Amino acid sequence: MLKNVLKPMSLFLVFSFLLLDLSVQTANAKMVDTNAVIAVQQETVNRERVAAFLGREDVQKVMVQQGVDPAEAQQRVASLSPSELTKMANSMDQLPAGSGGGGAIVGAVVFVFVVLLVTDLLGLTHVFPFVNAQR
Amino acid sequence: MIAGLFLLALPLLMQGCGLLPMGPLTEAPGVPAKAMVSGVPFFAQDELQCGPAALAMALNWSGVAVQPSDLSPEVYTPGLKGSLQSALIGSSRRHGRIAYPITGSDALLAEVAAGHPVIVLVNLSFFWYPKWHYAVVIGFDQEQGEVILHSGLTAREILSARTFMNIWRRSDYWGLLVLPPDQMPVESNEVEWLAAVAGLEKAGQLQAAATGYVTALTRWEASFAAWMGLGNSRYSLHDLDGSAEAFHQATLMQPENGLAFNNLAHVLDEQGKQKAALVAAQRAVDLGGPFLDTFRQTLEEIKLR
Repeated sequence: MLKNVLKPMSLFLVFSFLLLDLSVQTANAKMVDTNAVIAVQQETVNRERVAAFLGREDVQKVMVQQGVDPAEAQQRVASLSPSELTKMANSMDQLPAGSGGGGAIVGAVVFVFVVLLVTDLLGLTHVFPFVNAQR
Repeated sequence: MIAGLFLLALPLLMQGCGLLPMGPLTEAPGVPAKAMVSGVPFFAQDELQCGPAALAMALNWSGVAVQPSDLSPEVYTPGLKGSLQSALIGSSRRHGRIAYPITGSDALLAEVAAGHPVIVLVNLSFFWYPKWHYAVVIGFDQEQGEVILHSGLTAREILSARTFMNIWRRSDYWGLLVLPPDQMPVESNEVEWLAAVAGLEKAGQLQAAATGYVTALTRWEASFAAWMGLGNSRYSLHDLDGSAEAFHQATLMQPENGLAFNNLAHVLDEQGKQKAALVAAQRAVDLGGPFLDTFRQTLEEIKLR
């Protein structure tokens, strides 16, 4: 009894899934959708922000103190994927605004953030899930 | 060893540094001492239905006539005995409204002062016995230290700012604006606004999405992504002329970006302007970038006609 119902039903389901798939593929076949455009824009913004952060004089000072070449750090950041960049930019947002901004004195939190970020990049620590150390 | 010390220090420092304003409502600059949003109807919630009730209040304020019971199937998850934040966002979009999350008391006060009610997620109890709840902030009085909300069974409930901030903190100060697509939040970020509008587009609310992109262009007139979104939503609305115009504007904003040329090529092709379509498609391929494969496909497709 149940079998009689199940077979046509599963056939029906299989066909409806097929239809679903097709409709997705044909609609807007090669138009680039808005979400993709925004993702590209967001990535550019994040990359610029992270680069600007690492380019800050005070932040660079910390890196040099830790024996890290700022140019090397920038290069490693350049190899981060978009989602890793997003996480990084987000955790930068968590830093207290204005600390050390402009001046040469890095706030304690920023200091720790930079050091850990750099040691993560070097593969010494693994605090930030978004940093894949280079091997 | 030293790294270990840093590991220990990091969370301590991060917690103690007031990442978000704490304590009583801070006096945000440029915000009046008191404010009240008018025109927010109150719906008393049924049991466990604070999500649908709060959303219904915000939607009705924004001009969508719905009852909490209409929203319940879209918002409420019986297995969780509650409503997820993402469900509120999705449901707002299905009703053609922008869902724009905000954080923190500065943003909250600024929005309420501008006449926008804010849905907030609060935890009425402690983290070890959570009682999550949605309410709608409709007013505040900074001198009295009060926040006014439509919440649960109480219209215009008055909470002390201290209590409110305590129960709100447990959601990391999560708030949600539900706005008509032609009204922007006081402080809006271009990418976040466009992402919210793109959500409308995804939900099939094409007319509302188009309005949202036009609204974005009033504030960020050089926004490439806004022109792209406008082109895409007009295309889906079968407005080929309008779509071509928007993509053309996008190519002017970023002449080095192939995305706009690719989409423009498709529209021109459908308009029967094959020559111009070929030029645009070729341009996209020449410019290249991460979408090069798509651009090549576009070119091939047009050549085949």
